[in-house]
Amino acid sequence: MTATIAAIANLKGGVGKSTTTVMLADGLSYFYGLNVCVVDLDAQANSSQMLLTERGVQMAYEQGKGATHLLSSFIKGEPANVAEFIAPNAVTLEELRIAEENDERLGWISALPSHPHLRLQEMGLEETWYSQAGTPTSLAAKLAEHFKSGFDALREYYDVILLDCPPHLSPLSRAGLSLADVFVMPTIADAVSTWGTKQFSDWVGANIAPDLPKRNFVLITRFRNTAYAKQVASELQDIYLKDRWFGPKIPESVHVLNAMERAAPDSYDTFRGKYGGVKGDVKRLSERFTDFLSQRTGHKWQKMRD
Amino acid sequence: MAEDERLDAVAYLDRFFDELRDEVRTNPKFADRLVKAMGGKVVFEDATKTDIANPYILVADSSKSEFYSVFSSLKQSQLKKILKDNNLATSVDVRGKSASQLVDMLYDRASLKVTERKSSYF
Repeated sequence: MTATIAAIANLKGGVGKSTTTVMLADGLSYFYGLNVCVVDLDAQANSSQMLLTERGVQMAYEQGKGATHLLSSFIKGEPANVAEFIAPNAVTLEELRIAEENDERLGWISALPSHPHLRLQEMGLEETWYSQAGTPTSLAAKLAEHFKSGFDALREYYDVILLDCPPHLSPLSRAGLSLADVFVMPTIADAVSTWGTKQFSDWVGANIAPDLPKRNFVLITRFRNTAYAKQVASELQDIYLKDRWFGPKIPESVHVLNAMERAAPDSYDTFRGKYGGVKGDVKRLSERFTDFLSQRTGHKWQKMRD
Repeated sequence: MAEDERLDAVAYLDRFFDELRDEVRTNPKFADRLVKAMGGKVVFEDATKTDIANPYILVADSSKSEFYSVFSSLKQSQLKKILKDNNLATSVDVRGKSASQLVDMLYDRASLKVTERKSSYF
């Protein structure tokens, strides 16, 4: 295995980055049997919460797992042994759990969870760094170097590493973006979010990926079937982002909200039970995303389930 | 219900395509989306222009003269509707404007929005 690192990112908040991260993780592991690692770099810890629950996020933090501990290794000048900080089981799907129990692993999800403490820790690091004449850019570059050594070692254990990035450009976020092979940009079909896609394209294009269009997978989320939303979606596809790869439109739905709330750290649900009325959307998302990756890597993934 | 009617596969398909044809005839926006999805080029007819001509797409993909050729033949009321439907003008903005002023407004404002929203890097 040589994992592809996909950053789920947009400089605008509230566009469904964490939901997209979890849907991709579930879809890729369930339908294609992929070994997925979810890395949550957002101090809001939403994707961590969706996978592990609030209690699970706290337990992981107390057990030395998560992005805060990875950042601590940088602060202390220690090597980035990312594997040590990973919570090995972030699976919520019953089918995957049963297959694992029977020694027939067909897809798995691990997580490097976040914790609300991450932002405070990063701010502390920034204060120290800047007091020593460092700059945000030099900090982001050093962090990227640290992360790269850690994540390069991790690539052989996973098929896909999903980085859930925060909606701003802190040094941590910039370091995460610089690791990415591809960029998944969720957006909403409205005017302010459309403008947000321009900001993202401009910044990432100028600072990280001059070939962004080839590496960009766009997903319209929280889609309402109104004339207005259809028009904006069509403009995104036909004008502003016409050179990008688009996934299916993910509807605004109570099924999505329900799917993102795990009952308890030891609670599992079937894929059908978890996603209900949006299970077809998650399936199409994983199909389109593997098509997108195949076109980049030349590797074709076979479906394990239908 | 379908099983009781005992239609064969061809009859089902005929019904489906009849429905599709009817919808395409009566719903120009749907027809526009369908043709575009199949990779075709949409032809604007006067009767349906106000429903399907998208000023943003025309500004981005066509020349200024093509843009004007699509919109210049429309009446004031149709132009006002297009401006409002595409969030390019309010009732106040269009008050007292002639048809040619409205077409200019449509072109200028659509061009500005496309420039604002499109990445300047790519």
